[in-house]
Amino acid sequence: MDQILPKKFVLEVEEAQSIRQSLNLPSVLHLLPSLVQSAQSLARPPISNFFVGAVGLGSDGRVFIGVNLEFPGVPLHHSVHAEQFLLTNLAVHGCPRLLSLAVSDAPCGHCRQFLQELRDGSSLEILVTSHVGGNLDKGPSFKPLSEILPNPFGPHDLLGKEIPLLLEPHNNGFSLLPKNAVYVDENSSNLCNGECELSSGNEISGQLSNGNWEKNEKDGILLRKAAFEAANNAHAPYSGCPSGVALMDSEGKVYKGSYLESAAYNPSLGPVQAALVAYVAGGGGGYERILAAVLVELEEAKVKQEDTARLILKAVSPRCEFTAFYCRPAKNGPAKPNLVGGY
Amino acid sequence: MLPAPSIYASISYPSLPLPSPILYKSIAGSSIISQFCLDACQMDQILPQKFVLEAQEAESISQYLNLPSVQHLLPRLVQSAQSLARPPISNFHVGAVGLGSDGRVFIGVNLEFPGLPLHHSVHAEQFLLTNLALHGCPQLLSFAVSDAPCGHCRQFLQELRNSSSLGILVTSHVQGNLDKSLSFKPLSEILTNPFGPHDLLSEEIPLLLEPHNNGLSLLPKKALYVEGNSTNLCNGNCELSACNENSVKLSSGNREKNEKDEILLRKAALEAANNSHAPYSGCPSGVALMDSEGKVYRGSYLESAAYNPSLGPIQAALVAFLAGGGVGYKGIVAAVLVEKEEAKVKQEDTARLILKAVSPRCEFTVFYCRSAESGCKK
Repeated sequence: MDQILPKKFVLEVEEAQSIRQSLNLPSVLHLLPSLVQSAQSLARPPISNFFVGAVGLGSDGRVFIGVNLEFPGVPLHHSVHAEQFLLTNLAVHGCPRLLSLAVSDAPCGHCRQFLQELRDGSSLEILVTSHVGGNLDKGPSFKPLSEILPNPFGPHDLLGKEIPLLLEPHNNGFSLLPKNAVYVDENSSNLCNGECELSSGNEISGQLSNGNWEKNEKDGILLRKAAFEAANNAHAPYSGCPSGVALMDSEGKVYKGSYLESAAYNPSLGPVQAALVAYVAGGGGGYERILAAVLVELEEAKVKQEDTARLILKAVSPRCEFTAFYCRPAKNGPAKPNLVGGY
Repeated sequence: MLPAPSIYASISYPSLPLPSPILYKSIAGSSIISQFCLDACQMDQILPQKFVLEAQEAESISQYLNLPSVQHLLPRLVQSAQSLARPPISNFHVGAVGLGSDGRVFIGVNLEFPGLPLHHSVHAEQFLLTNLALHGCPQLLSFAVSDAPCGHCRQFLQELRNSSSLGILVTSHVQGNLDKSLSFKPLSEILTNPFGPHDLLSEEIPLLLEPHNNGLSLLPKKALYVEGNSTNLCNGNCELSACNENSVKLSSGNREKNEKDEILLRKAALEAANNSHAPYSGCPSGVALMDSEGKVYRGSYLESAAYNPSLGPIQAALVAFLAGGGVGYKGIVAAVLVEKEEAKVKQEDTARLILKAVSPRCEFTVFYCRSAESGCKK
């Protein structure tokens, strides 16, 4: 399969069709389980060494891969499950709907919950390759999500029907601050970020200690713009606190990821994770090649990502320069949920 | 002279008063009040704001209410439990009431922490299990909860030995007269083909609520690890208060933390780490908190086979704080974390972050430990 399918995370429509044909399969749906094992090999789970691969079919005919990611040095709740990677991959590539997915192991409850964020999530068709006995050609046994998570708790319990769900277009109505009034929080460690804490001889300059690449103002603007776009696309209808992260690697390539919230709160996917999915799916190599990161989030966010983002990046790519920018919603932006009281 | 602080969060409550005849009559005779649940006010007269009912108490209350069994009492306590929840982000109050194998009844509520990402939230079902763990109850038989458990919780519940047969009743789903049929359904019905401990661990490994001993001991005092650039010297306190000195006198003026307290905290955190359920990462950890009266609360890290639903040690200790009668988080003045020195799954920075948001003046210290040769697997 690796000869047909190099290490890619997206198959275009024609590609998927031609592979299906060369394998003599009746439909692209039949192709999904055949690609799972190959997908598993792309996973990065250095804590468990438990490789999970998920292969999904988008409504536009494209095929997407999802794999699990684990990050030594930080608590386990930062892990990315293959199903989450898959959905984030679709979001990164603007695919509006997931029809079905094949996965190496039964989705855990955390993922079954995360999948509820999709419109009509209950009807999403799922096949578990480790559960399929016998000949796959007979007919892949896809079952709807509702069968493995009956009576679910989800967006329908909390949101009006008109609120966009995961993969649907979002525009959180942030406005770029005027150029001369870019708001940089003075209390954040913009001046002493993850790098300072760890390297003794590091200066806050454009020259990064590995000597490879000099981050310049143009790059800074690119990153900020990408993070801002990612924040605008974020799915955060429960907290009203969208956020986005953009990463830049040593070749100056930019990857962006949007915060993806879950109705059940805890399964929410952080913006750093979403950006790391974009990085891995975009062909990024080792995490140490990530040299700069920008987070954009609301100024007075009840759900703040900044410190956590810094923590993850410190563990994942210690040399990465991290900056947080704050923004305010536009006057006519989407209504914020009624966040009352603190404790 | 201040009273000696207790190591264990003791829940002392007056013996249960007999409900007044008027109250009993009004409950029994009322046609307005649904048989389904008593309102929080009435329940509060029978049941003060507590998170544990002893077996005899639970029996007494069931009898007063003329119920066939304590299990029938569970759904009736849910609304009262909901009122104890602390969800300032969503304002969505969830209450869970569980029956332990020893006859005790336990409460669980959801907790949310503004200023932090949502994955730090504690669900009511997680609170409930942590509450049982804290009180040494070895098995959860069934529980009633205000809303359908989410997938994250259905997964967390898999950590129990008897998870598939765990009985669950969702009060918002129950129609009509509760007495007719107590509709508890097994967890296996709402999470089919689950992924869980059985997929990863051998049978003899202890599961959640079963006795754990990770065989940890603190590193020798002279090798006490204080990270040079960590904020042990400048913790949450320094960042926020301008004129704070790194002294033992806390700015609240209430209490002077002394060496004895530190030893107590360290010992409690080590015990919590030794009780921690972390068979997947092999990185157990524990946290002990002290309030302004010197009372100590401790919580153990509780891991999930699915990783993400794992409950952090700070959260577990906060559950102990609330279940132990703690009121405002700002009353927490000191915290100690114990974890392994070179842990692949490290809690330290995250613990610091949470405490900074929850109780900014809390003094936080980390101690490292190692496992004995014959200790836990990694």
